Amino acid sequence: MLANSPRLRLVGRRFVQIIPVIVLATFVVFGLLKLVPGDLAATLAGEYATEARVAQIRAEYGLDDPFLVQYGRWLLNAVQLDLSRSFQSNEPVLDQILHRFPTTMLLVVGALLISLVVGIPLGILAATHAGSRLDTVVTSLSSFGVALPNFWLAMILVATLSLSWGWFPATGAVRFASDPQGAIWHAVLPSIALAAGGIAEVVRQLRSALIEILSSQYVRTLYAKGLSPAAILWKHGLKNVAVTLLTVIGLLISRLLGGAVVIEAVFAIPGMGSMVVRAAIVKDFPVVQGVVFTMVILVIAINMVIDLLYTVVDPRVALK
Amino acid sequence: MNAPTHLANGRVDRRTFLALTAAATMAGGTALAQKRGGTLRLSAQSNPSSLNPQTGNSGSDHVILYPLYDTLVEWDYTTLQAKPGLAEKWAYPDPSTLVLTIRDGVMFHDGTRCDGAAVRYNLLRAKNDERSNIKSDLATVEDITASGQTVTLKLKSPDSALPLILSDRAGMISSPKAMEEHGRDYDRRPVGTGAMKFVSWADNERVVMTKNDGYWKKDRPLQDGMVFQIIPELPTGLRSVTAGQNDMVYYLVPQQKQLIERARNVGSAVGPSLLCVHAYFNYGRAPLDNVKVRQALNYAVDREEFNKATHGGIAETTSTILPRSHWACATEFSGTFTYDPDRARKLLAEGGHPNGIDILGIGYAEQLQVQQQEVLIEQMRKAGIRLRWERYTGPPTPTAFFAEKKGDLLLAPWTGRPDPSLTYQLVFGAGSYFNAGRGEGAPGLTEALLASRASDDLAVRKEAFRQLQKIVTENALHLPLLFRPELTAFGPRVKGYKPNLLGKPKFEDVWLEG
Amino acid sequence: MRRLRDWLGGNAAAVVSLFFLVGLFVLALAAPLIAPYPPTGQNLGNTLAEPSWAHWMGTDDLGRDVFSRLIHGAPSTLFASFLAVSVATVIGVPVGLLAGFMGGWVDDVISRVIDTLLSFPGIVLAIGVTGALGIGLTNAMIAVGIVFSPGLARLMRAQTLVVKQELYVDASRCFGASLSRILLKHVAPNAIQPVIVQVTLLLAVALLAEASLSFLGLGVQPPLPSWGGMLARAYNYMEIAPEQMYAPGIAILLTALAFNTLGEALRQALDPTRRRR
Repeated sequence: MLANSPRLRLVGRRFVQIIPVIVLATFVVFGLLKLVPGDLAATLAGEYATEARVAQIRAEYGLDDPFLVQYGRWLLNAVQLDLSRSFQSNEPVLDQILHRFPTTMLLVVGALLISLVVGIPLGILAATHAGSRLDTVVTSLSSFGVALPNFWLAMILVATLSLSWGWFPATGAVRFASDPQGAIWHAVLPSIALAAGGIAEVVRQLRSALIEILSSQYVRTLYAKGLSPAAILWKHGLKNVAVTLLTVIGLLISRLLGGAVVIEAVFAIPGMGSMVVRAAIVKDFPVVQGVVFTMVILVIAINMVIDLLYTVVDPRVALK
Repeated sequence: MNAPTHLANGRVDRRTFLALTAAATMAGGTALAQKRGGTLRLSAQSNPSSLNPQTGNSGSDHVILYPLYDTLVEWDYTTLQAKPGLAEKWAYPDPSTLVLTIRDGVMFHDGTRCDGAAVRYNLLRAKNDERSNIKSDLATVEDITASGQTVTLKLKSPDSALPLILSDRAGMISSPKAMEEHGRDYDRRPVGTGAMKFVSWADNERVVMTKNDGYWKKDRPLQDGMVFQIIPELPTGLRSVTAGQNDMVYYLVPQQKQLIERARNVGSAVGPSLLCVHAYFNYGRAPLDNVKVRQALNYAVDREEFNKATHGGIAETTSTILPRSHWACATEFSGTFTYDPDRARKLLAEGGHPNGIDILGIGYAEQLQVQQQEVLIEQMRKAGIRLRWERYTGPPTPTAFFAEKKGDLLLAPWTGRPDPSLTYQLVFGAGSYFNAGRGEGAPGLTEALLASRASDDLAVRKEAFRQLQKIVTENALHLPLLFRPELTAFGPRVKGYKPNLLGKPKFEDVWLEG
Repeated sequence: MRRLRDWLGGNAAAVVSLFFLVGLFVLALAAPLIAPYPPTGQNLGNTLAEPSWAHWMGTDDLGRDVFSRLIHGAPSTLFASFLAVSVATVIGVPVGLLAGFMGGWVDDVISRVIDTLLSFPGIVLAIGVTGALGIGLTNAMIAVGIVFSPGLARLMRAQTLVVKQELYVDASRCFGASLSRILLKHVAPNAIQPVIVQVTLLLAVALLAEASLSFLGLGVQPPLPSWGGMLARAYNYMEIAPEQMYAPGIAILLTALAFNTLGEALRQALDPTRRRR
């Protein structure tokens, strides 16, 4: 219980801190979207629209109100979980986001898992054999991984694994809720394409953190005491890099969310990324605003969870 | 299929088309083994603008609307002549009155009856509702009355185009009860009488339908359900069929024919279509208010080369807005604009631009469209026309040109209408949305338009359309390029697909094997 | 030569990268002289040709020489990366400097704004802005630059906090130097080193962002060639001409790799703790 109360206070403090961040973030996006040239109402009205109809649409969507009034109205509704309606389809934006959220998250989580499962062993190998040929190979591979355009990798994967050999589907996604196996099957190639950069990032960060620890005074003392290298690595090295790993995971999720936008385009996956690209292009601003809002909340929430986990891994953090 | 040999001369004429369909039918053994069941999965290029036929505004919606709604009038697949649909017959007792007899006993998906009153409700709403996008379709209708299964339309002026207009959006009949109940939300909860009942629509993802057990047409529907998966990039759509995630993809571009031929287990059908790839002109202002400049643009384009580069050489190049095989086509104008850069330069000089001219085009940013734009840049450059493009994606593209009046021309396909008078009216008519300048492009056009609808005698109408096309061609009111054949690709299980002349696929005869 | 190597920490890979980038710049500047064909010259009789003596990398779907388009794609690609990173630097460095040096409520406010912008998934914001302002390379890269700026600002702020404790800063303050003089003459030059490293690394990220946006059709507009745009077109012909997607992809990969390697080498060369080891 005693250990919990500073942690609770930390959560409380973070909550207070994120409110201005969210308000500011949505304000910035709202402001950017209002810079748009051209008459939005004319686009919405479509063919055959009379001047009167355009004016009516303008009134209907409150496009004539002052900027701050429009923003205030949006924020007030957003607080009550109403992200307003899409200009294009008139569907509630929140419904659309909730519908597509699982598809994108499947890719992101898949890519994160691949990054960790492949990246952690490689990072450990490289760190424990620092300076060897193995290290050089792993390090250069990770340099390639960081510089690799993920959509290009995706194209190559589609051309070989799915079109030439027919191992995986080339397009589309299946909803996890209706067919988990099919959903994972469809998510394999996009996740791999997305994970290339993630693997490289995990390897690089883990390697440098481990090398630092393994060359520290403290570990050298342990060696002197006669502990086996394996025991030192497992008991002391990895425990101490957990903080680094948490940081990398936080960073990766935000980056993978961004990367999913392009990957979804390559595979024609109906996720949040393709939704925001489409909405931005057709100027469906409630949708753009809603997706950015969701992603910001998500990133902030993940950062908060990671902050909490820091205190679990390293209790000293909570005292600060 | 032996399609390539038929298409070797670069044309799909009606005879070839008939031969092709016949071949497809024979090969498939249609009559013998029609099977029921299975869900037909289709790749559709665009999200429907609405599933309410009256409020939608995209020509590609029809393919998704046809299974949900019956139309009052249907058309023959090969000639596009009117034939009975929900209306089992119709007649003009006098030139200003049209009487429809509605088929008895047809039910809407919500269990209500489709009678004369329901049809009247739909037509009135199409004509008067503020959100209706098809008001102009019914502009000649003065008054509508209904009793029992009979609906009577009183017309302001004789209008022989009406029956085929009623095979389009205006003739798709919705349940009045559902329309009243849902109001604006009806756009997303369609209730018609069609072979398929609506299940769900996830935006830019998929539209799902299930079969209507009480459907009035004998032995239909053949499928248990239909799913339209929305995949905006055509190559990805085709890939989804190649890799087996979908059964069919339609509206492919002819270049993709070679991709289909290389793919294992993927068949294809090529049909003619009214889809005209052309550039709309804004002739309401300089520089395209000058007929010499408009003509120069038309002579600056090498349509055959454009066809080869962007349509695999199998499209029908054109100088008119109707294909040669269409009954109303004035074929004498079909080849008016030959490739002649020198003549184009001369016309430009005569029009006051001896040093060439700068033209700003509006176009779609989608890859295959960009390719067409790039070919036009090169061709026009040789005639001293410096063409630049400003690109948009999706609905903002036409809006930029027609509503915001950006650019001098817009490269976008016209999907065609069942009755040709509507095509001329919408594309060239004074005040029409698709006429960016809104003015009358040439003297006499308005009268010629009226004349094309005055009689229901085909020969008289044909002559009226000849006059109309003459005005359009002489004044070079647009830049017609070619008719894109309707190319459909399908997986090994798909049987019985037949293309139609309108070029908007219907799937009522398609069934799935195994 | 030797000094260059020493400066780069005796890192052979970094030297190769540097030469590669210099070569690329020369190629970009002299593209019209080097490229064997004009980048937009079409030959509709020879489309999607395989590599040959006349066309080293084959031709694309409009019969344009792929090698020439690749060379002509370099200037716009490099321009885009530098534009984005310049925007980020011009915004990020002064803001970070100010926040770090002034401290107090100025720092609080700026740090909060930085936190906010850092929580955006960058490319999503860039797409939103491009959609709003209109399709085009300049808009897209300014948006990317704005997205990068908070990262630089945060780095600059942290460095400034360290530097402003130094004796010479205090000293010049005592001598009555003006604020702008202290910032420009004493704080900025001493705090900038890690920022230079970061800028080099950002060039690679910007390059990948440009390629992604052009791939989505929001960046460089055809007929102007760009590597991302070439990939987008190649994607359409993946089944019949897969070789179309190799050259532009490898070009992007190598350039990004070179920027990264150079950045890492700079980091090592500038890092005092490493030097001692």
